[in-house]
Order: sequence, then structure tokens, then C-alpha cells
Amino acid sequence: MTTGAQAATAAPQARSAASIDPLYRQIRDLVYKVSGIYKTEEKLYLLAGGCERRMKQTGSKTPREYWDHLTLHPSRDGELRQLLNEITIGETCLFRSQPQLDALRKVILPEMAADKTRQILKKLRIWSAGCSTGEEAYTLAMNMLEESAGILKGWTVEVLGTDLNDRSIETANAGIYGDYALRCTSEHYKRKYFLPAEQNKLEVRPEVKKLVSFSRLNFQDDSRMLFMKSMDLIFCCNVLIYFDRASKSKVVDHFFTNLNYGGYFFLGTSESLLNLNDKFHLVHFPGAIAYWKPPLKVGKP
Amino acid sequence: METAPESWQAMTPSLAPSISARIRERVSQIETLPTIPTIFLPLLNLLNLPLDQVKVDDVVKLVSYDNTIAAQCLRMASSPLFGLAKAPESIKAAVISLGLRRVQTILLTCSVGRGFAVKEWKINPTVFWKHSLGCAMVCRRLSDKLASADGEKAYMAGLLHDIGILVNCMVFPKEFAAAMEHASREQITLEEAELRSMGFCHCDTGAALAQTWHIADDMIQAIAHHHRPEHSPAAQPLVALVHLSDLLCRVRNLGYGYYERQRVDMVHDPAWEILANEYRALHHMDLVRFTFELDEAIDEISGLVETIFGGASVAV
Repeated sequence: MTTGAQAATAAPQARSAASIDPLYRQIRDLVYKVSGIYKTEEKLYLLAGGCERRMKQTGSKTPREYWDHLTLHPSRDGELRQLLNEITIGETCLFRSQPQLDALRKVILPEMAADKTRQILKKLRIWSAGCSTGEEAYTLAMNMLEESAGILKGWTVEVLGTDLNDRSIETANAGIYGDYALRCTSEHYKRKYFLPAEQNKLEVRPEVKKLVSFSRLNFQDDSRMLFMKSMDLIFCCNVLIYFDRASKSKVVDHFFTNLNYGGYFFLGTSESLLNLNDKFHLVHFPGAIAYWKPPLKVGKP
Repeated sequence: METAPESWQAMTPSLAPSISARIRERVSQIETLPTIPTIFLPLLNLLNLPLDQVKVDDVVKLVSYDNTIAAQCLRMASSPLFGLAKAPESIKAAVISLGLRRVQTILLTCSVGRGFAVKEWKINPTVFWKHSLGCAMVCRRLSDKLASADGEKAYMAGLLHDIGILVNCMVFPKEFAAAMEHASREQITLEEAELRSMGFCHCDTGAALAQTWHIADDMIQAIAHHHRPEHSPAAQPLVALVHLSDLLCRVRNLGYGYYERQRVDMVHDPAWEILANEYRALHHMDLVRFTFELDEAIDEISGLVETIFGGASVAV
């Protein structure tokens, strides 16, 4: 997976946006409309690369033929899924989105720590929904530990990671990562929160693992979704892109209910909720976007 | 040098009379008060025409008026940013290959930039111009989304909205440097830092300067009230548009070069309501996608700033 993803990004990089077939912009718009993933002009070559690999697989000779496959062919839904896989592959790594983490530590945590209702329990519950192999959950836990002597002094932090896939959960529990997953992790964090493991890999230290628990969860399982209560933060990155509009809307409604008032919901950095829920407030932080569940008194007409 | 008219006092109700008098006095005293560049007003007139009524030759004349600007246009036309196969040989060829819109952008930006002979930059000039130009571009894009006819005016207002920062560099260099340092250390907004340490901010000094220029009143309101559009006595939709564009720039890497601990809820900002009352299209705008699209423009803005101000930038 690692080499595939790297190869996917390396070759077409030299291509300028101007030389890209305009049809890829049309595909970009389709992908956005259906999934909420937006590839900016500078990332358009990644989308073009993904399309070209899918064109080989589907036997489409031109972008136009592939466009027809994506829009008219009986297997168009499945094909779009394959394309989404292609363009989001390799995005999983620890410390993937620094602007999200900055927003969390510099703006959200101080806000939550000052919130009188939260001060009573001094407890923070974070959910990495669709956690895959655990990178995001551990990243969040490490960032919380960094604040444990400061703003979160005396607070209890709980990070839950859930995924549909049992094997991913197994890998997440092991907490062993190689260079590719650690490519955005600074030396400071590597030294402080990891132990050497076999094959030059690094294993997450027990004090981090202690904060995190992983379990299997299907978002379509309504009764279990109801149990994921009292979250302060939900991160759900590149998961909802695979859902159709109706299911996505249902899951997002669950997330809204699962969050405490004043809690935040984060998607992937180039992912949009496509206006599926009007109860959340869209908020911008430097370099990051989140959805906020306002306290009861705010936002009422 | 003309002093700011009395109406300015009414525009800045939040300031104590003693402070506004002090600003007026200081702004009117400086000898090198920025003047409107010669081509600025004819250019504005040209901008008010629909694009199909603008004559290429008129634009060529304006470009040729100033050698430096002409050279910048030629440099820009041959820059990889526009991907022209061949460097244009004449100004007319450059105007045609760049397109009137872009030439107007370059002209406006150059003429505003050159009007300010700031000796002591207390802020990185490249960062300043990237923010101003970024805001101008976002203002125009947002106008387009709203099907607002006044995209060019919005562009102009975006370009000039923070002009008071340059006034502060020139008129209150020590106080402004301290405010800037305070803002980046505390990660607060520049406006907040200025108000805390100086008792007034760039909106006040920018408006004082704009008054001496006799430019349109709505432009002055945008400069004076872009942080609080709801306080503007006139032209609220334009001021609100500048406010939202400014916010968007600052949360998408086109701010003042330091982390601002900001949490912006645009849809629930009073500016949003002002704009939505004026333009129904805002209700249907996909703000997230608009934000992503803005990210795409950052490279272009950086390229423009490098091309226009590259040689003139002074590192702080």
C-alpha cells in the first residue's frame, strides 16, 4: 500500500494544472457532489492519476469514455467507490492535519476548559469514528497528553476508536507503525511517545494506549450508534464519502446527538458535509473547518 | 494638506474625541502622506464600465503612462503564471494576452502599492500585500457568487481595506510595532492588539487617510468598519462583504503571517445577515467549497505579489 500510494503521487507531479484535461475538472465536480471530497487545482493531478489507473482497469481509452463509465454505466456507483479509494489511498498517517490539531489545542481546549459545565466533571471524550488502523486516535491521545500538565491538568481524557473492519482494529490495538505512517510525526513525539519495535518500526507507548480503546462499530447500526454518548469531539475522516446522501445524513444526525452541547465534529481536511445538516454551525479555524453543536441557548431564532 | 472633515468623527463613534483628534492631527501633519497615484482615478472610471465597453487602447494608454507599471505588466505577461507561449513584444500584446481583467488587477494593485513609500515597514510587506490582494480577490469572487454587479468596487474595497496599517507604519511606527509584536506573541487579532495598546486601530487611521483622498464614501466605510460592518452608517452590504472576505483570508493562510487564535462562525456573523438580506444567492452558497476554492487561488496571489512587489519587498 505504501509504495503504491507513493508511486501514485510521484509520477504525475510535474504536470501543471493547465495541461490537465478539462474533463478531470468535471470529474472533480462529480466526486465533490457525490462524496464531498474536493480536490483543489494543485491536487488535481492526484485525481487525474487516480482516474488514469481506473481507466486502465475499466478499459476506458479516453477521459470522456471514463466519464461515461462513471455516469452512465450500470456499475457507476461501484466505480465511483473504486475511484474514491484511489484518490484517498495513503492519506492515513499520524499527525496528518496539523491545522486541526492547532485548532484543537489553541482554540477548542481553552474554550472547553473554561466552560463551567465541563469543569464539574473535568472529563473529555473523543471519538475517532472510522479510525482505520488507529493513527488518528493515537495522535489525539498524544496531543491530549501534551496538555495534561497545562490546560487539561486534573482532567480525564478518553479516546475511542471505532471501525467496521476487524483487522484494522487488530492493527490499531497493536499500535506499531512504520516510516510511512510516521512521516508527519516530529522527533519530539517519536522520542516521547514511542518505543522501538521490530523491523525498525515504532510502537506507541503504554501510557498513550491506556487512554485509547478500540472497538468494532457499523455506522448503520442505529442501536449501537445511540450508545456512543456524551462525546466532546468527533473526528470522522474520509469515511462518509462512501455513503449515499440518505445514509450520510442519518449518520451525521447520530453524530449531532452523540455530541455534548458545545462539542465539535471534524471531517477530513478536503471533505465537506455538503449542507446535510443545518443544526451544526460551520466554523473556521486557521487552516481547518469544523462543525459545532451550539449550546441550547445559542442559535435559536 | 487637507484635514479630515468633521463627518469622520461621526464615523468612528467608538473612539474618544481626544483620540480621534490626535489621529487627525498626526495624519494631517505627516509630510509624506500617501497621495493617489495619477492613474488611479482614470482607472477607477474605466473599471466602472462594463467589460465590453472598455477599449483596449485606453487601457494600453494607462499602462504606458508609467514606465514601472508598463515594465511590471510585461514581466507579468511573460511569467509562467499565465503560461503564455511567448513573451509579448509590446504593451498592447501584453494587454491582449493577459486579458483586460488581469491588466486592471495589475494596474490597480501596482498603483496602490506605489502610492505608499513606506520607509519603516513594521510588518512584512509581502505578507501585507498578499493579504490585501487576497482579500481583493475573495471580495470579487464572493461578488460573482452573489451575482453582484459591483465586483470591481468590491475588489477595490478589499485591496484598500487595511490601508490604515500602512498609515500606522508611517505615522505611529513605534506604537504599531509594539502592537504587531503583541498580536503575534499573544496570537490575537491585530485590531485587538492595536486597540489594547494604542486605543485606536488601523480602521481609524485608514479612514482618516481615505477621507483626504476624496474617494467614494462606501469605500471609506469599508476601510473604517470592516471589522464591525453592523456599525457602518452606510454601504453595509459592501462593508459586510469585505469583512467576510477578510475573515476568510485570515483563516486560510492569507493573514498576517502569524497564528491567530481564531474561531470564526461566518454564517452567524452579523455581516452574513446583512449580506444575505441584500443578496438571496448567499443562502444557497456552498461556503465549504468556496473555502476550498480560495485555497487554489493562494499560489496565484503569491505569484502576483512576487511579480508586482518582488523587487521592492523589504524583509522585516
